[in-house]
Amino acid sequence: MEMLLSTVISGLLMGMLFALVALGLAIIFGVMNIVNFAHGEFLMIGMYAAFLTATGLYLEPLLTLPISAAVCFIFGICAYYALVRYLLKGPMLAQLLGTFGLMIFLRYLAMCIFGPDYKTIEHGLLIGKSINWGPVVLSYSKLGTAVISVMAFGIIYWLINCTRLGMALKATALDVEAASYMGIDTEKMRGLAWGLGGATVGIAGALLTNFYYVFPTVGLLFVMIAFATVALGGFGSIKGAFIAGLIMGLIIDVGGTYVGPQHKFALIYLTYFLVIIFRPQGLFGW
Amino acid sequence: MSALKDALSFGDLPISERIGFLIFIISCLAFPWVTKGSFAQSVMIQFLIFCLYGLGWNLIGGYGGQVALGQAKNVGMSAYTVALMMVWWDVPFWVSTPLGVIVATIESFILGYFLFRLKGHYFAIATICVSLVWQQLFINWDLIGGARGVELPLRETPNFLYMQFDSPIYYHYFAFLLVLGAILFMNWFRKSRLGYQLRAISAGEDIAESLGINIHWVKVKAYCITGVFAGMGGAFYAVYYNYIDPFSVMHLELSIMIALMTMIGGAGSMWGPIIGAMILIPLDRYLGTWLGGSGVVGVDFMIYASMVMIIAAYEPRGIWGIIEKARIRGSGYGFLGSG
Repeated sequence: MEMLLSTVISGLLMGMLFALVALGLAIIFGVMNIVNFAHGEFLMIGMYAAFLTATGLYLEPLLTLPISAAVCFIFGICAYYALVRYLLKGPMLAQLLGTFGLMIFLRYLAMCIFGPDYKTIEHGLLIGKSINWGPVVLSYSKLGTAVISVMAFGIIYWLINCTRLGMALKATALDVEAASYMGIDTEKMRGLAWGLGGATVGIAGALLTNFYYVFPTVGLLFVMIAFATVALGGFGSIKGAFIAGLIMGLIIDVGGTYVGPQHKFALIYLTYFLVIIFRPQGLFGW
Repeated sequence: MSALKDALSFGDLPISERIGFLIFIISCLAFPWVTKGSFAQSVMIQFLIFCLYGLGWNLIGGYGGQVALGQAKNVGMSAYTVALMMVWWDVPFWVSTPLGVIVATIESFILGYFLFRLKGHYFAIATICVSLVWQQLFINWDLIGGARGVELPLRETPNFLYMQFDSPIYYHYFAFLLVLGAILFMNWFRKSRLGYQLRAISAGEDIAESLGINIHWVKVKAYCITGVFAGMGGAFYAVYYNYIDPFSVMHLELSIMIALMTMIGGAGSMWGPIIGAMILIPLDRYLGTWLGGSGVVGVDFMIYASMVMIIAAYEPRGIWGIIEKARIRGSGYGFLGSG
């Protein structure tokens, strides 16, 4: 019982991070119907940005959050203007494989520059400490990650639902042509969606460096979880991404503990598969 | 009988394509006699295997326009069936291959039956997730070798029943026969009822449905045929390499490689997968070996990724699209192009 409680809590905490990773994917998909395979590589870039500033300047890892968010924001916008703009004209196959090409390119570029080694940050406010709360042991880094993830999620939610900018984004998502008649610069909005998607995943990457290794192929695992999360929640649904993120976190930790750690990833894809058979549009899709 | 005639007649193709096909056949036949290097020969056999995968994938991904990214699991299932039957019960290749192909096809059928209720990106993600489930299962399933893979028993003398030869020439010709069969099948397919139905679905599902095409059933049928091709490729892969593991035959990267290759060559065109394989496989192998020797990691992948991005952004119909554009411009029928 105590073990169940502690796995449930740690699963929910991880789930908040998964939700943040999936959020970027959901924004990009919601605004322009394109699945970004390179999303995991944006996470990797965010992690390296955080890692390099934290070790290079001996900075507190939490202070690297804005830096990696900014780096990934710029990367997202560059990716949009240099590649995705042209991909959008083609069929779906070309879109998928085009972003897949971007993913391979970024991954091996990182491999060339940083080498294939696993790296960790050893200093920091949250690292290596934990809180004992009855039978439940919580590490500070996971707790802090979850709190900041939820905060970032809230900010993005507010930005999209309560500001003029968010309304312009939503209008672009609903109907590009009508939005441009209303005087919205839809091209800029799409670039912004890529920037925002990058920034959220950059924050997630900076948080992840607190308790996870940094290496060039780290993106693949997380992007696959993020795909399943976004598709489970319903593409383009922000609320769906959050709930599905929590579900994924729970399945990974609880399933990993009770079924066996080697099957935890198979379990999440299997769950997704079962849900999708009965609800093809995802939990909150339309 | 008319199906056979359709498969064998290339009369409706332009003369340049017929000449190109003839050159392809002759160069494949002559290759082992002209080239003696064993590396070149192994690259050639890999090229033929990938042609087979690509021709099969082109059916659902190119003609049908359904982005199914799970070919590797069909390849893997058939390869594992052949390998395990040979290891456990000493079953000859010629008996286990049909079984392997049937396993791959049944898997395609069940999966297609459920997954084709999904559309567009949902379908693509779902196929990825399913192949990841299989990959994880095969990696962790100790009975079938787990992550260590399966090694096929080597025989002392060359044995036709078990497809063990002392020279790669035999493998080369066997693979070539498979590819030739696949090309003939595709030649029949593009003129068949199923082919037209599939292209109609790709052009517009709602319109196809209103014309009375059972889109779900047509997609499932096409997906099963794709499974057959992948199964044959997988069975051959197992006996050619004598060793398989979940990373070489079940891996997601293989599925994506097949799709990329077809797209670079030109998805939905008859020669696209062959052109794609002709470019990507030698590039991958030679560049990888050459750069890997000099200690630079990943430059080959970066070149390959840039090529993918450029093609995806500027000419989504691939190299075949470029060829067709040039041909239309040359013949002066510009307004008929872009079809």
